[in-house]
Amino acid sequence: MSGDAQILDRGYRRFDGERSGVAGAVRSVSWHTTRGMLGLGRKFRFKIVPLLIILIGFLPAIGFAAFVIIASTFAGADLFADEIAPEYWELAPQSIPSIVLFIALMAPDAIVRDRRDGMVSLYLTTPLSRWSYIFSKFIAVVGVLAIVVLVPTLLFLIALTFASAGPDGFVDWIVVFIRTVGSGLAACLVYAAVSMAASSLTDRRSFATAIVILTFFGTLTTVGIMIDVGDASTTWQMLNPVVMPLELIARMFGGSGEFPEVGTANVYLANAGWLAASGGLLWWRYKDAGV
Amino acid sequence: MVFGTHRALDSLDVEVQPGVTGLVGANGAGKTTFMSIVLGLRAATEGSVTVLGKDPRRDGAELRSLVGFGAERNVFPDDMPASDFVKHLTEVRGVPRSEAKSRSSDALWLVGLGEERFRPLGTMSTGQRQRVKLAQAIAADPSLILLDEPTDGLDPAQRDEILALIRQVSTEFGIDIMLSSHLLEEVERVCDSVVAIDAGRLIAQGRLVDLVGDLSGVSVELVDGSDGLVAASAVVAALRSLGMDVEFDGERPRFEVDGPGPERVVDAVRDVVASEGAQLRRIEPRRRRLEDLFEAAT
Repeated sequence: MSGDAQILDRGYRRFDGERSGVAGAVRSVSWHTTRGMLGLGRKFRFKIVPLLIILIGFLPAIGFAAFVIIASTFAGADLFADEIAPEYWELAPQSIPSIVLFIALMAPDAIVRDRRDGMVSLYLTTPLSRWSYIFSKFIAVVGVLAIVVLVPTLLFLIALTFASAGPDGFVDWIVVFIRTVGSGLAACLVYAAVSMAASSLTDRRSFATAIVILTFFGTLTTVGIMIDVGDASTTWQMLNPVVMPLELIARMFGGSGEFPEVGTANVYLANAGWLAASGGLLWWRYKDAGV
Repeated sequence: MVFGTHRALDSLDVEVQPGVTGLVGANGAGKTTFMSIVLGLRAATEGSVTVLGKDPRRDGAELRSLVGFGAERNVFPDDMPASDFVKHLTEVRGVPRSEAKSRSSDALWLVGLGEERFRPLGTMSTGQRQRVKLAQAIAADPSLILLDEPTDGLDPAQRDEILALIRQVSTEFGIDIMLSSHLLEEVERVCDSVVAIDAGRLIAQGRLVDLVGDLSGVSVELVDGSDGLVAASAVVAALRSLGMDVEFDGERPRFEVDGPGPERVVDAVRDVVASEGAQLRRIEPRRRRLEDLFEAAT
């Protein structure tokens, strides 16, 4: 080592560069939240649950994709496409276990941790406002939720395409692709909003999980009993936040869905209603947030 | 600023000077509300606010990217390393990711946590956490830092260290700081200017040297005990008989003495205390303190 060696002391440096403003803050918080939900940058034990949930979500699509390749090889692509393959909108309901696990176990983490640690107030001293903070969290939850709602269907579409059993021609393929992404994202928006709103009612993650489960399964069970036992109209399914987003996917593909008795306009209305109600609850929970 | 029927801040007309400014007042005086308004998180019911030349309500996001904030509460994700925490908040305040990483590391070195920067926040002491708060507030190179009760929960030694750091950030890095505190003594030690509020009303504002300072006379405190007050009464009576002007409330063995020149006053106090057999605890030049401002105003 040279006798002239010394410890580098950079002291305090000014920052004269351009600041990224609200967009940068939203991007940063979204990415930070995404990493937190997926356990990235944390110990392996934090990654186990997300990995399992994603694996469960992908199993049906992987199964169908494998079946596509085998069936199209032996029975012919046309037979598969016409007789065996499920409709694209029928894939998402296969991922229901992972969707439920995600919205109950992972999504609450997006906002409960900040509420518990007091990070919300610190974030609000940055360029973020209450709404842009919630928006950044929303983007993160929707993004991760899309992995289990949207990506399996995309995987299935690609498998069909490679097995020559997909949409006919480039234009049809693009239409299916856009419908897959659009309907999947629309469903993610509703699931994410309801899950975040329910989670915002508490600062404890276990309570948040319980509230989310109660919200989704409470309405699912109640509506089910009303219809099956009380002979109520199937239209009451509009109050069911588990099936309405899946119904939305089906209708956006032009399918009839599980509950054809509920008109398409009512399906859109129900999902819009859940979004609005969730937004209202989040606004109420965060309206007084600050230092 | 009005919440329902409660007026949190009332007719507050304040101009904050460069340097370190102390926002002082008892708990509930309106300090945090004041900071909320400065940050644009709440709107004043009436009047106008300008911070760094910007309107906090209209340009809140732009303003807040230029302001560092250290919260009173411990707002920490316990399992996150200090370096990640500071880096993340630096990014959120608008500094590019690559720059945020080096700046967060520098900031943690500057507050004396260079060796500890990879430790999870939950394993850090209260003093270290206060340093982390300061590091995240300075890392994005703000023009102004707001610190809410920065010495809360610290022992005297840790408090001295944090106050020295705050002073350093202002004088060496050229960043203006407003710190809120209910501890008047620490504000006197570190601040250049003061905004004093009580129950939402402005008591005093201005440069500290203009608000506090040496007065004529001395402050005397005798050793307290079963006969401390008796001894104090006797000393006070003797001093008055010598023509000294004495302020004594009769409740504590402390009094203020003024007279013809500081040396003669000190000599007289010394002689009288000795002749009355009292025990002297402290004798010092009389100063006007922030506490006096509050006592006079309330």
